[in-house]
Amino acid sequence: MTTDILPAKVKRGDASDGGASLGSRLSRIDGPAKITGAARYALEHHPEGLCHAVIVQSTIGAGRIGVIDTAAADAAPGVLMVLTPDRIMPLKSATTWLDTPGPDGPYLPLTNMINFVGQHVAAVVAETFEQATAAAALIKIYYEETDAIATYDDPRSGEGMALDHLAVSWGEAEEALAEAPVRIEATYRTPREYNVPIEPHGLVAQWNGDKLTVWEPSQWINGMSRTYAEWFGVPYENVRLVSPFIGGGFGSKAFALAHGAIAACAAKMLDRPVKLALTRPQTFTAFGGRPATRQTLRLGATEEGRLVSIVQTGANETSRDGVWGEPLASVTALMYATPHLAARQTVVPVNTVLPSALRAPGENPSAFGIECAIDELSYEVGIDPVAIRLLNYAEEDPHAKKPWSTRQLREAYEAGAKAFGWEKRTSEPRSMRDGHHLIGWGVAAGTYPVRRTAGEAMVRLFADGRAEVASSGIDMGQGTYTILAQTAADAIGLPVDQVEVKLGDSALPGAPVAGGSQLANLMTGAVHKAALAARDELIGLAIGDPNSPFRALQANTLSVADGVISSPRGGEEVSIAELMHRLGRDKIEVLRDTLPETNNSAAEKHRTYTTITRMRSPTEGDYSLHAWCVHFIEVRVDEDFGTVRVSRVVSALDSGRLYNPKLAESQWKGGIIMGIGQALLEEGLVDRRKGRVINNNLGDYLIATNADIPDIEVISVGVPDFHASVLGGKAVGELGIVGVAPAIANAVYHATGKRIRDLPITLEKLIE
Amino acid sequence: MSKSLTLKLAVNGASHELTVEPRVTLLDALREHLGLTGSKKGCDQGQCGACTVHVDGERVLACLTLAAQAEGRAVTTIEGLTPEGADLHPVQAAFLSHDAFQCGYCTPGQIMSAVACIKEGHAGSDAEIREYMSGNLCRCGAYPHIVAAVRQAKEVMS
Repeated sequence: MTTDILPAKVKRGDASDGGASLGSRLSRIDGPAKITGAARYALEHHPEGLCHAVIVQSTIGAGRIGVIDTAAADAAPGVLMVLTPDRIMPLKSATTWLDTPGPDGPYLPLTNMINFVGQHVAAVVAETFEQATAAAALIKIYYEETDAIATYDDPRSGEGMALDHLAVSWGEAEEALAEAPVRIEATYRTPREYNVPIEPHGLVAQWNGDKLTVWEPSQWINGMSRTYAEWFGVPYENVRLVSPFIGGGFGSKAFALAHGAIAACAAKMLDRPVKLALTRPQTFTAFGGRPATRQTLRLGATEEGRLVSIVQTGANETSRDGVWGEPLASVTALMYATPHLAARQTVVPVNTVLPSALRAPGENPSAFGIECAIDELSYEVGIDPVAIRLLNYAEEDPHAKKPWSTRQLREAYEAGAKAFGWEKRTSEPRSMRDGHHLIGWGVAAGTYPVRRTAGEAMVRLFADGRAEVASSGIDMGQGTYTILAQTAADAIGLPVDQVEVKLGDSALPGAPVAGGSQLANLMTGAVHKAALAARDELIGLAIGDPNSPFRALQANTLSVADGVISSPRGGEEVSIAELMHRLGRDKIEVLRDTLPETNNSAAEKHRTYTTITRMRSPTEGDYSLHAWCVHFIEVRVDEDFGTVRVSRVVSALDSGRLYNPKLAESQWKGGIIMGIGQALLEEGLVDRRKGRVINNNLGDYLIATNADIPDIEVISVGVPDFHASVLGGKAVGELGIVGVAPAIANAVYHATGKRIRDLPITLEKLIE
Repeated sequence: MSKSLTLKLAVNGASHELTVEPRVTLLDALREHLGLTGSKKGCDQGQCGACTVHVDGERVLACLTLAAQAEGRAVTTIEGLTPEGADLHPVQAAFLSHDAFQCGYCTPGQIMSAVACIKEGHAGSDAEIREYMSGNLCRCGAYPHIVAAVRQAKEVMS
């Protein structure tokens, strides 16, 4: 890979030097491949003999399949195989990401029992994609249908199951609330939301004997490899998962899913490589997005606006066959100092696919509740929305009772308010207008925890003086390639364009899931460690090897900069390539991991990279580790039509040290933009009769387009946080979206005087 | 439907002959038959813009175009935006310097749209760029950087 910016000679290690060191605004090094079409994504691999699979999904929400008539499909041109629940090979049940046993086996990726509309029920494999698609349409399925519960608004769905592990309480919340001079209560709702990465899910699967190669977009190479291996009962090492480029994931590409099992089964049964691409509509039910959530918040406060109690009850939808808890108290129990708090929640099973992770699961809907509620309280007691947040500022983690490692949230309010011009705001709703447009200014804060898992990295120095970094960690656009090249270049003392980074392949050293905004911090730590060790080995050879030109200097150490080795005592300067030549070495190779030295066996590494059991909580240790942000947002609401446009955004964010501000800002803005879509557009519409998601395409499930998005100003207020990570960074990718929707809802209230407490904020809710 | 057609397609200045069923789309012909995988399939139903290519110089959704419809017309994909070995196109260079993409999957379509948007005269203001680039969805949310890149490329190209 090449870079478009040459490294500077003088490196200060921050954005001011304009060079390529960590902290500088280097353009992404995988960029040239992406802008020329050379980057090869999973479905663009065409092994010899490739055939094509197309999936058929259920059209009822509950019941069982009576008869599947495949006669016409079996006989259709080009068809190689029609898979049905009765024909697919049974697989072994795989363990979960928590390292617990899966459901009782066997695992059947196609089943006769139907739990939701859009469940995979059959698949056709044919010589061409067109033949498979045509034959799939010929399959006739006769169902024995039973009643489906479409949503948790159906009274038959009941109260659901309590999730005790998500309950939080301290003090005497109900009593304190009852005695509070000021009380407010409101219910906030978010609909089903979908990840919709622009690259749909799919894979190419190929068997060679008992070895499986899978080209599939993956946020978690090692975790998904483990699942494939367990399904097919082959050793972990027999599965090769390759995913150097991923066309977006946002939480949806971390697990091996049923369609992957189907493709791998078909490839095994046919002994041919199989490509299976989900259609865009199928992606709405092949995996779950964020579940619908509702939460009732009761806030008690003094007449001055100081919180005395928060009581929250929440619920989210889950599927009939699994539990996905969307932690609704994650921000409620963290953001503000309150002496009393009680939060509990349930999950309500309905006939849907199992929900899953979508950008900031938990924090996102949690912030929508508490950040709207605190705004409502500010109006109840008559103080400024920023002022009430500062009045209730949590000086320490109110739940864990530990000091923050760093919390630049005050600085974020100050910097954001100043850049936005908040002091010019008039507080009364409907008090700012521009012709037909009601203007609203809203504010809300957000947070995301620092999650920590160990990783490992290989660093190689070659005879030509170039270096290579290798890891199974992935880059789906966060900038992993770039920041790891920068990390290695800094640690070794090389120009960054002399570093090649290889990612996204299970044959490389292991990494945990690229989720929870943890990958950049853990992988820079691992690469930094490995690269320093490679540099030490290089210097050791330069000092000690009989053939080294530095041997006569009797130096204790040497410096390496821009690929050149020199001694502080002067004398000859020698390039790394020249030294390697004189030493007769073809490479230096160093593998390092960041597991505890007392517990780094092969089995422990495997567990670390293939499960989440070794992920440390943000409050393990002496500090509470979190990233923070504040969004200031202006909306313009057409008074006659109720249309809402976001016209200005200023966000101040504390992600600690930024390894590459250019790329971090892109992620922040991407989160903010997804938040604008969430606030105004995104909603999975569910047919109340059968539970079908009726807007299962990109024309009807609306995500933000270019025309929906104004200029966005992001301000970094972070400082390096070495409690949080080796090189001082905190969470980036999931932070930006948290707090955007409540800032917009608060701005809409300021503009119109109407509180919209259920997302998205659409015109009919404003003009009714 | 099993009857095949033999088509001659002019793609990126080269002539290709391929035998495909009449229902094969231009997008699948490019990706599956000609090995030109730069054009992306994001929805296969004309909603996301990831498959945008140029046909006779105009932007077209390759997923809603049959390969047979492109016969006798000049098709340009991201791979052929500049001659082989040449520098980056000003739009490509601007996308790189403005970080106008993250995952990169919508990017070839965005770039092909941007080149056409500028040539159409629809890049006169930021508001106009936003409107005429709204047929290309980006879930990573690179829109402000795309606008900045198109603005810069327009200056370079004029």
